[in-house]
Amino acid sequence: MEKVLTEIAEVTADPYGYVAGLKERKEKKVIGCFPMHIPDEIIHAADLIPVVIWRGNEPVTWGHAHVPPYDCGITRSFVDDAVRGKLGFMDGMVFHVRQCLQAGEFPFIMERHVKPSYQKVLYLPALYPGDVMRDFTITELEGFKTSLEEFTGKKISDDNLNKSIEIYNKNRSLLERVYEIRREKPEILKAREVMQIVWSSMFMLKEDHNKLLTELIKGMEAKTVEPEKDKIRVIPVGCLCQTLQFDILDLIEDLGMIIPDDDLYIGSRYFANQVNLDGSPLGALADRYLTRTPVCPTKGVWQVHWGDEAIKKMRDNDARGIISIIVKYCPPHACYYPDFKSKMEQEGINAIMIEMEHEIITLEAIKTRLQSFVEIIGGV
Amino acid sequence: MAIAIGVDVGSLCTKTVILDGGNNVLAYDIMRSGHYYKGAAEESIDNVLKTAGLRKEDIGYILGTGYGRGAVSSADGQVTEITCHARGATRLFPGVHTVIDIGGQDSKVIGIGDNARVTNFVMNDKCAAGTGRFLEVMALALSVDIGEMGDLFFASDKKVEVSSMCTVFAESEVISLFAQGHKKADIAAGIADSIARRIVGMVGQVGLKEEVIMSGGVAKNAGVAHAIGERIGAKLLIADEPQIVGALGAAIIASERI
Ligand code: SF4
Repeated sequence: MEKVLTEIAEVTADPYGYVAGLKERKEKKVIGCFPMHIPDEIIHAADLIPVVIWRGNEPVTWGHAHVPPYDCGITRSFVDDAVRGKLGFMDGMVFHVRQCLQAGEFPFIMERHVKPSYQKVLYLPALYPGDVMRDFTITELEGFKTSLEEFTGKKISDDNLNKSIEIYNKNRSLLERVYEIRREKPEILKAREVMQIVWSSMFMLKEDHNKLLTELIKGMEAKTVEPEKDKIRVIPVGCLCQTLQFDILDLIEDLGMIIPDDDLYIGSRYFANQVNLDGSPLGALADRYLTRTPVCPTKGVWQVHWGDEAIKKMRDNDARGIISIIVKYCPPHACYYPDFKSKMEQEGINAIMIEMEHEIITLEAIKTRLQSFVEIIGGV
Repeated sequence: MAIAIGVDVGSLCTKTVILDGGNNVLAYDIMRSGHYYKGAAEESIDNVLKTAGLRKEDIGYILGTGYGRGAVSSADGQVTEITCHARGATRLFPGVHTVIDIGGQDSKVIGIGDNARVTNFVMNDKCAAGTGRFLEVMALALSVDIGEMGDLFFASDKKVEVSSMCTVFAESEVISLFAQGHKKADIAAGIADSIARRIVGMVGQVGLKEEVIMSGGVAKNAGVAHAIGERIGAKLLIADEPQIVGALGAAIIASERI
């Protein structure tokens, strides 16, 4: 278990180096998908390496010539990385531009300044009002598949697609198992380790990741941990396309809280629900995207309130509070948050909001907020 | 004797309160934190012990709070200033439900439930606008002593608007208001109102529930307190020594832990 965790920590410490090395080893082209929820099984089925684009850790420099400082961290960091040539190992890029206004900026910037050999813009619906959107999504995915076939010069058969979906589904069920064990014994992993585990799945080949997870799970199942009963259980919730600073997760734990589960994209939302393998693979991928990925401010259905989902997760895990983590300058989250907050107030839920920024992280101030939150829950 | 001590290490001042076994205040101390918080905390503890005629051996529990709470090396525990202000405020005014605390470098509004516990809070911890440091810079720009600023407010007959929230920009705005021929008192009233406008936004986020107490060093500025009261439409309760509310709360929690 420790060996796997060390490997994952190393991989996530330098995703650039890892993906560049992977490309060389496998002699395959790399396609970067800007988060969230692009059905990259189709890229995998085209015998390419799909990776979910990440937020780097460096301050934004040239990128500010292309995007304003009031764009979210991953937007600015990704553009900065791209225009500085740090993503030269990416042969192609895919953007789902209906997600938020900022994602809509990328195709123009990349086309003009980065010129990847392959670029695809997807219009995946943000809302699911019924069959009409299903048909639309399937057509979009058909176009996506055709464009990849043209790029590689190879047909993608239903068989290829189903095989890739199976590998992805396996990864989902393994990640679900990791979370299941963590729910039973939350002390078994640090929150930062859990985030690294999910994040590494986003840019490792799923076949390789599945092997790591299988070994990890064996170790987790065998390991006994002393329950820390006095720890306060909390659920982090957020509409982040990016990893949050690990220091924040450490802080949550250092202050006497423990995270048995989460409602984060680089977390439980990434692997929630399988792609159904009956019927047409593209239809099944469309269905997962539309109705089986959990709601968040960038996509959902009117009937489901994100706040209700978060509260359910909190109650299912016997947690005593919700920590909303908001990325500065993320319009979808900022728009949804008042609604979310009202829901927490109506239901009498202990909830707090922490804002994170790409460059500045005022850890002391965050500490005071989180410590006060623990004191409120703990009745000091 | 089981005595309890609360030490509130703020960015500008360190405040210490000492309570006897019956929760009576035996002594308190306020001193500049300077650059060495650890030293300031210990010196402030020595000061209160001396005033109260007690020795270190008499101490039952020391609780650190405030921005530098981690620097109180002799502390037995630490609790945030949010919780401590709520406890201190309800001890002073049992009917209080909202605390407006403006300290040296941050401001906060705290909602309190009927059980004296914090229900919610907002903090302005990103910049010094509207805090004690802001007032110090404004006093310099007006060439008045910080202590005189509050009175100056009441001498105004035509408040001017100071629109900048940023300490640096507000300073240059004040200079240009002078250049336009505005009176010192009118500018001072404008400065007080600019702080009040900022606080109104924070009170709105927490939800105003009376009674309202104002604490922190800025509460000593009658002009600012008046402007805030006017803007939020509520009477502000102010303790005789508003700077020690957090330290008092810390001492109360310390006494519960003995
Ligand atoms: S964090 Fe928000 S604003 Fe940024 S790319 Fe994601 S959804 Fe868009």
